[in-house]
This record gives sequence, C-alpha cells and structure tokens, in this order.
Amino acid sequence: MTNKKPIYLDYAATTPVDERVAKAMCECMTRDGVFANPASSSHQPGRDARGRVEAARRDVAALVGACPTEIIWTSGATESDNLALKGIAHRYGNRGRHIVTSRTEHKAILDSCQQLETEGFEISYVTPGADGRITADLVADATRDDTLLVSIMHVNNEIGVAADITEIGQLCHEEALLFHVDAAQSAGKLPIDVESMHIDLMSVSGHKIYGPKGVGALYVRGQPKNRLEPLIHGGGHEWGMRSGTLATHQVVGMGEAFRIARQEMESEANALAKLRKRLWHGLVGLGGVFLNGCPDHCAPGILNVSFDGVEGESLLFALRDLAVSSGSACTSASNEASYVLRALGRSDQLAQSSIRFSMGRYTTIDEVERALQIVTDKVNRLRGLAPAPRGDDAHERAG
Amino acid sequence: MEALDYSRFVLERFDRPPNAGRLLGRVVRGSAGEAAHGTRVEFDFRLRAGQVEDARFRAYGCPHAIAAASWVAESAAGRSLTETSWMDPMELAAMMELPDHKLGVLLVVEDALRDASGHAGPAD
Repeated sequence: MTNKKPIYLDYAATTPVDERVAKAMCECMTRDGVFANPASSSHQPGRDARGRVEAARRDVAALVGACPTEIIWTSGATESDNLALKGIAHRYGNRGRHIVTSRTEHKAILDSCQQLETEGFEISYVTPGADGRITADLVADATRDDTLLVSIMHVNNEIGVAADITEIGQLCHEEALLFHVDAAQSAGKLPIDVESMHIDLMSVSGHKIYGPKGVGALYVRGQPKNRLEPLIHGGGHEWGMRSGTLATHQVVGMGEAFRIARQEMESEANALAKLRKRLWHGLVGLGGVFLNGCPDHCAPGILNVSFDGVEGESLLFALRDLAVSSGSACTSASNEASYVLRALGRSDQLAQSSIRFSMGRYTTIDEVERALQIVTDKVNRLRGLAPAPRGDDAHERAG
Repeated sequence: MEALDYSRFVLERFDRPPNAGRLLGRVVRGSAGEAAHGTRVEFDFRLRAGQVEDARFRAYGCPHAIAAASWVAESAAGRSLTETSWMDPMELAAMMELPDHKLGVLLVVEDALRDASGHAGPAD
C-alpha cells in the first residue's frame, strides 16, 4: 500500500460535488447570500430563496421531461422510493394490493416492499435473466388482475444493467398499472423522458451526478397532492407531500447538477463508454474473468466482473490502492454475498469475488491503465498463492 | 475490528508471505477445507530426522486464512509433525486480532496441519 490516494472508481456509490455545483450551493448559505427560508414569502430574502428553489426544480424536471410541479424534493432516492411505494400503496390500497418489483432492486425498494407485506400487500419479485436485465415480458408474467403498482429500477446499482423501461412503461400504460422507476443510477447518465416512457413516479438523487448528498426528488405524474399519502407531516411543504423546511443550498446544488448533466450527458457517456471498454478488454486478458451484466444495455461507466480462483475479501484487500466496491460478504452487514449476483445465477464464489468498477466525470485513461496494472498484479499473485483446483496440479507453482 | 481493518500481523503476512508455494520431491502433505466454502489450505512439509526442515503453504481464503497458513508453515520449522498442540487457534486468533466470526478459518488451518500430522509416519 502506498501513501498515494486510491484511484477512485466508485462513482456509482457517490460522486464528488462538481465545483460549479459547490459554487451555486455556497451562494445559498451565508448571510451575504440567499440563506432565507424559501417558505417565508412575506419578505424579499424568502422570495429570493424560493426563486432559487423553483429554478432548481425546473432544472431537475427538464432533465427527465417532466413539469416542475411534478417534482417533490426529498432527502434522497431512498426517501423517494419509500414515499413512492408507501405513498401509492396507502392511497390506493383499496384498488389493488399486489405490487410487482424485481429481486435485484435497491434495498430501499426491497425493504419498503417487505414493510408493505406486513401490512397485507402481496409482492411478486421478478427474477432477471442471466444478463441481469428486467424485460417487459418478465414483468407481464408477474402482473395480476389486482396489481396496483410496478416498480423497476432503470439502471442496477451493482451491475449497471439497464432495464427495458420503455417497454415496461408501455405495458403498464396498456394495463393501467402505476409505474415507478428508481432512476438514482440513470438520471444524467442515460436519456430519460417520463412521457414517452410512461413513467408515473420516479426517484432521483443528487449525489450520484456530482450534486450534494442529502437531497433527492420524486417525480409524480400530475398533481402530487392527489396521488400520494405523505410519509412526513408538519407544515404542508411540497404540496403537503413532504413537510419540512427545504434545504435551499442542497436543492440548488441538485438543480445545478441536473442542469450540467443535461448539457454534458451525451459527451460524458461517450467518454465513459470508451474507458469502460478499455477496462473490460484489459481485464479479459487475465483469463477467468466474467462480466456480470449485459454489454448491450448498461450504464456507460459501470463494469462489474467476477474473478475465478480468488477469494473476495482477499481480492478487495489486495486492491486497496483502488476505491472500488465488492460483492463480497465482508463488505455487507448481512454477511451474505451480493444478492444481485446470486439472483443472476452466479455461484457463491463468483459472487464473492466480484468487483464493481464505476467510472465518472473525472476518471482519466491514465487512471484506468494504472488500475488495470494493479488488478493484473494482485489477481495473479492471489491465484499464485491458491491451491490448484482439485485434481489438477498443473498450475501450482514450485516452491 | 471493522471489515478490511487488519492487524499488522495479518497485513505483513498477507502482503509478503515468506513461505508460499510448494515443495517438490518427498514431502508430507496436509490439506483441509473447500474453496467453494471459502477456505482451502494445503501444506507441504519436508522432514529430516523427524523434524520439519522446510515448509510451504497454499491458501485460498480471506487475508486471515493466508496469514494464518503462512504463520503455521513458518512456525513448524524444527518441530515434529506428530505433535501439533503448538498451533492453538485461540492463541493465534489473539495474535492476529481475529474477529470472532472468523474463528472457523483458523480451524481449517489447524485441520490442514493435523491432516499432515496424520500422514507423517514414524519413518518420517
């Protein structure tokens, strides 16, 4: 381990705040800035703050083809997911008590569904194909006469695979089912249009696209007030759907991040796709490397691979000059290997020895090349330490 | 101790295990565990006059497994394989600052040593 900072390849976990975003946020904190309560409409400083909040709301809406009045500020995508599922279930539970989601959703969805199950809702968990993709056919097979809501993530946070949101949206539209999309990993990375994709609710986050942590939003088609049962009461903010004084600097930061993403998404995606391709081709040369996901339908910056013949915890520790995520149990509170990779049918060993490389706005080709060299060295070393597969001594090294 | 927060004992033996590999020729071998279950350890011991003259290990497992196997291979030098009580998993766990839930890893290492001990005949 050197004293150099690790090469950061964990942009799917979070991103650094863009300097332009930080500048906009700083304008909304100190006494010479726009610090007033945006709900204080009785004075100009309050109205100024409200103006910044509404401008940010327009920027978030513009990225996904929504109307600004369809955007509710939240504390992040986890709260948005909770508000979407519980808000719909509690408001429309009399229409149907069946929800369709997938086994590879974020825990914010799975745990919310688990909570709704204790309230009498029935959940169908769609299992993706071996490539991790959720298709409209898989969702259609799971729907029933009493299905109320379908909730499918756009891009999976572990493997980067993009679900067939357009087709699933069309299905939900034709079947008159409410459709929620967790777009925390895709907003600002892949094109989204809530109209043509027939999305009714959508969760997005600030910190996944170079905005601040602690802020997110929920898109709700039409009038949010009439569509959801709120989780948080007290003050009637956000049309009564999410009470609490708005954090102007956070909201403004998220708006700026979404504004920048709208301008730079296409060129950034092209650059990331090239870095991802280089990384994958370099890793394949090691042998015994498996792609977790679908190369044709994925977020441009995420590459998840499993390494045969190395143990996951040792691999992650050996790679400590890289900031990456692992499917190894050692990094999870549950002490189980990645449930996403297990759902794809990966063996426990390959799920344990998976590494998610996620690149972003500031990743350089030099960093990718250095990461490749480190991975190559460490995987070869660990394979050299390991016993040969049973019944095959050919690869053992002499002492 | 948090995940991926290892003691110096583990860190040094994980990064630079001095006796990894295998011995050729007439050696006593011992093994235990399954890679599919997360840990497999193999030892090679060369004996002279009933005592370990040289030892090597191979390990598939977490950093603790690699470090423990390395320590055993190193510590076996000069000892008889017929007696293995010097490898006390609890004492080794304390030296390594091993998290409680990892004790099973050391039992695999101990089993591999005992397997070698079982293969070491009187003539060895």
